[in-house]
Formats: sequence, C-alpha cells, structure tokens
Amino acid sequence: MTDNVKATSQPKTGQMVIHFTIFLALILSWELGAQMGWLDKLFFPAPSAILTSFWRIYVSQGNIWFHLYISLGLVFAGFTAGSILGVGLGAVVGMNATVRRFLQPYVIVLEATPRIAVAPLLIAALGFGATSKIAIIMLVCFFAPFINTLSGVINVDRDRFELMRSLGASKIQVLRKLVLPEAVPVIMAGERLALTSALSGVLVAEFIQRDQGIGTLILTYTRNLNMASAFACIFTLTLIGFLIFKGMERLDHRIAYWKNEAGLRRVGAKRARAWAAEQGGLARA
Amino acid sequence: MHNDQNRMFWILRAAPHLLLLAAILAAWEGAVATGLITTIMIPRPSAIGGAIVELYVTKGTIYEHFFITLTEAVVGFGIGAAVAIALAVSSSLSENFGRYVSPYAVVLNVTPGIALTPIIIAWFGYGMGSKIALAAVICFFPIFVNTLTGLRQTDEDREELFRSFGASQRQVFMQLRVPAALPLMFAGLKIGLTTALIGAVVAEFAQATAGVGVLMSRFSFSLNMASSLATLLSMTLIGLLLFYTMEFLDDRIVFWRREARMAAVSRARARAWKSGAAH
Repeated sequence: MTDNVKATSQPKTGQMVIHFTIFLALILSWELGAQMGWLDKLFFPAPSAILTSFWRIYVSQGNIWFHLYISLGLVFAGFTAGSILGVGLGAVVGMNATVRRFLQPYVIVLEATPRIAVAPLLIAALGFGATSKIAIIMLVCFFAPFINTLSGVINVDRDRFELMRSLGASKIQVLRKLVLPEAVPVIMAGERLALTSALSGVLVAEFIQRDQGIGTLILTYTRNLNMASAFACIFTLTLIGFLIFKGMERLDHRIAYWKNEAGLRRVGAKRARAWAAEQGGLARA
Repeated sequence: MHNDQNRMFWILRAAPHLLLLAAILAAWEGAVATGLITTIMIPRPSAIGGAIVELYVTKGTIYEHFFITLTEAVVGFGIGAAVAIALAVSSSLSENFGRYVSPYAVVLNVTPGIALTPIIIAWFGYGMGSKIALAAVICFFPIFVNTLTGLRQTDEDREELFRSFGASQRQVFMQLRVPAALPLMFAGLKIGLTTALIGAVVAEFAQATAGVGVLMSRFSFSLNMASSLATLLSMTLIGLLLFYTMEFLDDRIVFWRREARMAAVSRARARAWKSGAAH
C-alpha cells in the first residue's frame, strides 16, 4: 500500500519523457509556425525571439532589474501593511459580536465591489507616485486576510473555548492559545491569496500611472509592438508567481507545523530535547 | 398575522444598522460642512447622493456603460467557464490527458492574468473583444481547479454500490461523480464570476472607449470624486447582481445542500410520483 502511494506520487521517468516531448513539440511547432510566417510575428513572437529578449533585458541591456526592484518593493510594502491590518482587524472584529454585527453589511457590499476598481480614485486622491501604488496594493491585500481571520476566529471550537473560560483563562490567553492556533491555517490561505493579488495590484497601478515598474515595462513594450520582450516580462512574472506560491507553501508548513507529519515530528523532537535538557539541569541542581 | 410579526422583526433588526449609517453620514457631512475635512478628495455624502441621482436618474449616463461592462464580464465568464469545465471533465475522464495538461494550467495559474492586459488589447483591439478575452483568461483557473477537484473526489463505497448494481461508466459519471462535484464547481463559478468582472474593469482602465471602468477613470482624473464614487457603486451593483444570480442557480441546482430547498424538491417529487402512480 505504502509502496503504491510512493509510486504514484513520484513521477515515473517514462512520464517525464512524455512531458518533455510534448513541451518540446509545442515549442518547436510554435517556432516553426513563426519562422514560416504562419503565425503573425507581431502577435506571436517566436520562442527564439523571446529567449533573445530574455538575454537582452536581463544581461546585455539589463533594464528589467530596476523595474523589478521597484515593483517588488511596492508589493512587499503594500502586502505587509495590508495583510497586517487585515489580520489585526479580522481578529478584533471576530472577537466582538456587536462590532461584527454592525460591520457585516459593509463587508458584504465591499466584497461585491471589485476592489481594484478603486485604483483611479486612489491615484487621483493621493497623487502619482509610490504612495498611491502602495495604497492600492494595501487595499487589494486587505480583504482576503481580513475575511479569513474573521471566519477562523468565529469558527473556533465552542467546547474548547468554554473549557478555557471555565478554567479562568483571560481573553488574551484564549486568543493566543486557542483562537490563533486554530485560525492559522485559514489565515495563511488568506495571506497566500493576498500576495497573489498584491502582484496584480501593482501591475494595475503601473498600467494606470505608466511611470516605472514591471507593469509599465510590459505596457511600453506592447505599445512599441516589441512582443517578444513583453512576453519575456510576463514569463518573469510567471516565475515570480511560482516562487510566491512555493514560498507561501513552505511558510505555511513551518508556521502551521501541526498540520503535517514532518513538521509535527520536528517540533515534537525539539520540545522533547528542551524538556530533557531542563530535566537534566534540574537533576544536576 | 404571521407576516406582520415578521415585518416588525425585520424593522427592529434593521433599525440599529440604519441609525448607525445615518449617524456616520451625518458626522461625515458635518465634518466637511464645518471645514474639519478640507480636502476636495473627500466629497460630502450629499454630493455623492446628488451625483448618484444625476448619473442614474436625471441624465442616466451610467446605463450604457453599465450594460457594456456587464456584457463583457458575463460573456467572458461564459467562455472561460465553458473551456474550464470542458478541460476539467476531460482531465477527470482520461488520466493521461489530465496529467499532460495540468502543468500548463499551473503555469497559467501562477502568472498574474492582469499582466496579459496590454498583450490581449494588442491582440483583440480596443473594443469589447479584449475585455471579454481578459475576463475569460482570468476566470478560467478557479473554475477549472474546483471542477476537477470535485470530479476527482470519489466515495469508494458509493462507487462500489453503483458497480455492484451493474451501473455503466457513463452512469457512474453522470449520476455519482457530477452531482458530487457540483457544490465545489459552484464555489469555483462564484469566484470566477467576481474575477471576470475584475478582468473586464481592468481592461477598460488600460484602454477602452466605453464601460464603467472608463467612466471611473474619467471622473477620477477630472477630480470629480462624487461622480467617481457614484460610478463605483455601479460596479458594486454589477458584482451583487452577478453574485446573487449565481447563488440562486446554486440554490436551485445543488438543492440538496439546503434544508428548505431539499424539502421543497422532495415534496414536488412525491407529488409527481403520486400523480404518476394514480394513472
């Protein structure tokens, strides 16, 4: 049984070969189509042209680094501020039934509004530049952690909650020892969503402002009909998106360690060692 | 009698909310009127109300844009959902197909779909086509992944029961897998509908001549904040309209998830059965 599971989870060499063959066939037919003029080069640049563009924007010209630095800095700032605000407010609202009741209609209305639509308004209100961009990212980052924290806090186990209260736990203790640990997986799911939307948020902000950053770069390349470079930028974003996805997964495993076998064993062993050391210390004393 | 009580109950429940809203609006209005808030970026509630009346009633400029954006979002959603469901069904039917398609779906997922906006506009032009295309691309993934997950989760016991009664592959799929997948599929469709609207609006920001996104940026950059907020309201309305339509369909189609709907459907079936038996 375990062997069987292992066999299906590990891709076989044969399958990898087929994966690779399909990929290669797709790329080759694309290249051929572009070279033979079956595909409009202006719209579907050849893979070789995209590779050349990669070389140019990363190495020989190296102009993407500056824009990447700007955009990712904004994403980091906006995401940090927005998600901290979201989790904090979510916890406060979730713990207090009255606040929750009065806020609910507004939350429903806000959830139906496409948040990113507020972008022009924020730019007009806060002016061009980094401030309005960070505000847009904060806004799109805020909601998923807020809602997820809220639902994580509300859906806390009633029996456990009552047990802790009857044993005289304070509100802070309930929050730290019961509510947050139970809500963490849900909160992390919200953070993952938020980081992805932060990337979209910075792109929209840059599409509108058209000054600098990766979104502006894509827009400029497309305007100049330099499609190969535009595709190279988009594949860069694919890579960033993939790294974000994997990174958040790793983080999720570390923080909510009790959700997976390996993490549980790791933290358990560490605690056992600490306990043994403490016992040893006591015995010596 | 019962109805009257019900109405009283609703009024009592809504009253504190309305009072709070009125208090917030009054405080806001007062703060602007007395000069506590001086920036032109924060219009008075009464100015927003005036802009709403102008846009929706006296001039009625919003409707043309409203329906354009609604159409873009709905058509894009339809295309994206059709492709997503077709691919998910094929992937669940053929293990090989699923295996060799999934890497490309993952690549599409981790790419922020918004990044494709300029390229899609170059491909499909400044009209509605590019907005529909972006909406379709953006809403594809949540629908695909939810439908596939739903179709793949199988209850071994039920499947065995089906087989032992001699059900064909087709029957197992249509009568066991599909109903089991519907709740998750609808969850995906609801997410997809919201993202389709985002796609349509963002494409309108980037380049368009009509739609609420255009109206929104036009008002914002002429610093007409009241009208801009009134336009934002129309997006909320589109969002609510789409969401509740989906919720309604969910309620009708996946009726067994809701107690009340389940009772209603089983009563109707019992009636149909009885009249059938009487013949």
